[in-house]
Amino acid sequence: MSNKLISLIFALCLLLGALLVAIMMAEDVVNSGGVAHPDIAGMTVGGDGELRLKHIGRYAFLFQSLLLLLIICLCILGVSPRYRTPPFYGYMAGCYSLMLFIWWQMYFGHQQFMQTGQLSYFMGFPTPTAWQMYGTWFGAIPLMLLYSLGFRKFIYTQADDEAFTALLTEHKSPTSP
Amino acid sequence: MEAYRQEIILGAVFLYMAFCIVTGIWAMRRTKNSSDFFMAGRSLGPIVVSLALFSSTLSGFGFVGGPGLVYSIGVSSFWMVVISSSGYAIGFFLVAKRIRMIAELRDCISLPDIVAARYNSEAVRFLMAVTIVLGVMGYLATQILAMAVVMQAILSGTQMFAEISLVSCVVISSAVLIFYCVTGGIIASVYTDVVQGSIMVVAGGLILITATAVFDGGMQEATSIILANDSEAIMPFGSAGIMASLGWFFVFGLGLAGQPHLITKMMMNKEMADNRTIFPMSLFGYVMAALLWISIGVVMRAAAIDGVIDPLQSPDDAASVFLSLFANPLLAGVVFAGLFAAIMSTSDAFLNIGTAAIIHDIPKAINGKSVDNELFWARVVTVLLAAVAASFALYSYYLDATLVALLGAFGWATFAASIFPVVAIGLNWKGATVPGAIAAIISALVINFSVQLAGISIPYGISGGLVAFITSLILFIGVSAVTKKPNIGADIEQLLDI
Repeated sequence: MSNKLISLIFALCLLLGALLVAIMMAEDVVNSGGVAHPDIAGMTVGGDGELRLKHIGRYAFLFQSLLLLLIICLCILGVSPRYRTPPFYGYMAGCYSLMLFIWWQMYFGHQQFMQTGQLSYFMGFPTPTAWQMYGTWFGAIPLMLLYSLGFRKFIYTQADDEAFTALLTEHKSPTSP
Repeated sequence: MEAYRQEIILGAVFLYMAFCIVTGIWAMRRTKNSSDFFMAGRSLGPIVVSLALFSSTLSGFGFVGGPGLVYSIGVSSFWMVVISSSGYAIGFFLVAKRIRMIAELRDCISLPDIVAARYNSEAVRFLMAVTIVLGVMGYLATQILAMAVVMQAILSGTQMFAEISLVSCVVISSAVLIFYCVTGGIIASVYTDVVQGSIMVVAGGLILITATAVFDGGMQEATSIILANDSEAIMPFGSAGIMASLGWFFVFGLGLAGQPHLITKMMMNKEMADNRTIFPMSLFGYVMAALLWISIGVVMRAAAIDGVIDPLQSPDDAASVFLSLFANPLLAGVVFAGLFAAIMSTSDAFLNIGTAAIIHDIPKAINGKSVDNELFWARVVTVLLAAVAASFALYSYYLDATLVALLGAFGWATFAASIFPVVAIGLNWKGATVPGAIAAIISALVINFSVQLAGISIPYGISGGLVAFITSLILFIGVSAVTKKPNIGADIEQLLDI
């Protein structure tokens, strides 16, 4: 299972690299990285949002979707294979679903605003940005809950502690490496 | 109270510096050997580690550069901050447990020690140490310069020190930094981090309240002003665009687990089980402190657009102008002290790991053993390293910014690309090999250096750091898959199964 996981991580990295190349080779637009504010020095403006996403929008959406999956896979890699039970995988799938949902709301909320000009606010920010700010922050909280509340079940169990103590007793070198 | 604003600010900063000196003296009594100097004897409690961890993450950049970026490019820079929850998750899941275990098993006092043990390779140790030294020089020089510039700005507002020079400010601020680093090592560093972290948590909350009061309609009015002027700036990807934003998400998120000054702190906690509380406490602290970054930047951009303030001469003035115009003098004093604390906290962390790399890791990689009388030489090299970095800082400021800019490229992104695969993945995958690790580190250094030296501009705001990071990940796993696994010790083999 560990070999499959590292293979998946490798495949994700390759895909991310390929998407990056595709984006770099896409037709560039004048405001892709922003342009200087016409009146205020030191400020940058984005300009036409639809134009900026015209050639790369779907690549960027896929990039982030795969990156979120990579984050989940990396967290799974940090859990010993013997603790990766079906409920654990189910929980991680749920974490990914939540992160993907938040990303979806953010991206397509932005799209909707660009098309309609209609906008609502949430806690001081335009709703798509609220998804970005609050959603991205809180989207990883389930991972933190698993780590903290599930520490003795998934991360470092009593059996792990005993095994490490035994290892220290057996092998500890009196000098540094 | 308003009439004494500068004096209050100066007093708060002076108080903090005095605290640093006292802490250095106190910590000196607890520092008996190089393990204490570099690792605090692996005896720190969860609150200390939590505060040290997040306060080392947010340097002066969190106070100055961050708000300045929001002023300049809007929501794009939020991506550097909101990734923190995922970044901490990756760091704790992948690094915290195994790095702590290897550190105790093999009496490691540095990150190169860890990788030498994991890969049974002095070549990997050497490359890791060189990467750290190069990165430390760049980071330290910019931090020392930032410290001196802020000190000069504060002192020049008073009558007595109106004409103080930048060189004098470098000398004064570096002297305090060197004193407590030399006397107390990492113990002084982490306990000053405790105060700094506490200041940042409190300041973050108070600044948010202050910022939302600048406009009658609160934060929504501020963001509406920005929206009316340029919608993209306040939309999820900001002025810099989607790929700049997602690139920062990648580099700052995964890269957190590749920052040497952060993950070495994961080696210092007394009990393994403390990690379950360190993670949420660190994250909470970071989120609170980051409120300062976001709220000041948004309000200042809106204020400049709306004509409430004159446009800033430099985006980096956002925080200082905000504090002088909108914040209560006491709050301004606390935040300026926090700014100093943040810069010093990051500087002392880098001084410590840079010194370890020079006197412990590089000699071990070349000669097979560290220098004799490690504690003495640790103190000497700490002074020399700070002096060299301060000289670089002044050289770049007065003569030629190229060298520091080049070394400054060895910032977060280079550490991320060169260290993350080797440590974060390597500690959790038995298939990682020495050629894979070497390929990852060298590719990260070459790509970041090349992009900086050649001034390469990549379309759609894609950063060289992102390209380097993805490349190093692919090379690390790909090269490892086709090369022979190292003969690691039986103890490490068993540890990787736990």
